[in-house]
Amino acid sequence: MENNQRRKGAVRVEPNPKRDAKIHRGAEHHRLKIGDKGRSYLRHNLEVAKQSYYSLLAQPLTTFMTLAVLAIALALPGALYAGLKNLQQLGDGWQGDPRIALYLKLTVTEESAETLSRELLLRDDVAGTELITAEQGMLEFQAMSGFGDVFSFLDSNPLPAVVMVMPRNLSVTEVPLLQAKLQALPQVDEAVVDMEWVQRLAAFVRLAERMVWVLTALFITAVLLVVGNTIRLSIESRRDEIIIAKLVGATDAYVRRPFLYDGVWFGVAGGLSAWVLIQLSLLLLSSPVEHLVTLYNSQFELAGLGFVETILLLIISILLGLCGAWLAVGRHLREIQPQ
Amino acid sequence: MISFDNVTKRYPNGYDALSQVNFSLASGEMAFLTGHSGAGKTTLLKLLMLMERPSNGRVLVGNQDLATLGNRQIPYHRRRVGVVFQNHQLLFDRSVFENIVLPLRICGFDPADATRRAHAALDKVGLLDKEKLNPVVLSGGEQQRVGIARAIVHKPQVLLADEPTGNLDPKLSEEVMRLFQQFNQVGTTVLIASHDLGLIARMPHRVITLNRGRLVSDGK
Repeated sequence: MENNQRRKGAVRVEPNPKRDAKIHRGAEHHRLKIGDKGRSYLRHNLEVAKQSYYSLLAQPLTTFMTLAVLAIALALPGALYAGLKNLQQLGDGWQGDPRIALYLKLTVTEESAETLSRELLLRDDVAGTELITAEQGMLEFQAMSGFGDVFSFLDSNPLPAVVMVMPRNLSVTEVPLLQAKLQALPQVDEAVVDMEWVQRLAAFVRLAERMVWVLTALFITAVLLVVGNTIRLSIESRRDEIIIAKLVGATDAYVRRPFLYDGVWFGVAGGLSAWVLIQLSLLLLSSPVEHLVTLYNSQFELAGLGFVETILLLIISILLGLCGAWLAVGRHLREIQPQ
Repeated sequence: MISFDNVTKRYPNGYDALSQVNFSLASGEMAFLTGHSGAGKTTLLKLLMLMERPSNGRVLVGNQDLATLGNRQIPYHRRRVGVVFQNHQLLFDRSVFENIVLPLRICGFDPADATRRAHAALDKVGLLDKEKLNPVVLSGGEQQRVGIARAIVHKPQVLLADEPTGNLDPKLSEEVMRLFQQFNQVGTTVLIASHDLGLIARMPHRVITLNRGRLVSDGK
């Protein structure tokens, strides 16, 4: 139980007053008080954090290279995520157009078509209706198509009356449901909705989502490996120090601590750099996107990473730094034993 | 303070570095451990440091059977034991003072207290004026004294030394031995592995002799 607790944390480990009291039984003159141990534990953490910070600054080139790799490896999934978010926003904010066109049966009179249109307007799931009578339909057709003369060969108007229905709920799942309900009405010959564009977008977003996950997994592995390798080199270069510390009674936690802080600092700096990279690339994209958006006459706005997402990015990158360091330290410190 | 009870250390290749060793050292005693190279001196010290574990028998330090200590308790055991190495094992990336204060940092001493104790240890070995230097600029004898200061700075109950005079000329060797005697006089149990028989003969201490892993004489 106690061993488990000790193994779990990067942090909580060192002084165990009970055990120490037992071991120091014979040497009253250098037993430490519990309070002192807590303080010394905190002090050591603070000291090590500072030392680790300055030691990274002391090797600017190595640190910069590692950070650059980390920043790119973190920024790519981050940027993909931001792009995905924008796509989803595009799909969600897609307004107006999913109208359901109800082609009424030819037997339906103009009056009953009007009644139907008004009845539909009372439904909860319908935002609005618009009746296009057979007459109007013919006029529109003649005006738009240039085949106006065609009708002069016909005895009667072959076009049905059409009721355009604007659904209240525009989501990809709700519109087809409404479509099915309306199709079942006796007056309706066919209910048609142009959902293809929305469905394709939704499918594309799903695919992109999956891709982002796969790439994220790959890049996370890369981050772990990069941090792990950097820490491994750092462990190798401090081999003598580790051996001597172990010989004079350093616990594993004590030996591990500076390397874990290295990992944390890499995580902090890598996360911040990744954030800057993401925001920069969105900034570069924003002007062409705006241009595109004006062409489509849309309200779409390119969104960067929000506050919560930024914090999340930082937490993830710190955790990755810590994990990478932990993996390296766990493997390599065991190998370094005084001989 | 130290007790070996029928201790055998067999290495995986079948070589017996120690076989059926029995002796004990009272608290506050000082003794030399001698024997040809390969007689098992270093192995014996390693067992005391828990750098190795015996294949058979029991090793006790301060009435504690070392076999009862798990790997996680090794650091706490090592804090009770100070060790001086033949090759000093100093860190050349930091000052003499930083080398000596290391065990205190590891034990979690208050910084002011640690500085005081480190200065006291440096004073004891006569290197107080060199605390800010890098050990690399010190002579062999001085480096060895830094190593000794580091071994005693946290006042261990037991002081072990492995060929502490191995690379020193006779005069310096004698100085180093006098230092060990001084620590012994204030109550520390001291065990020194050395094959410098001439020097040992001039000192009035117990001599434990090993030959090919067997105890030839426990000097009593």
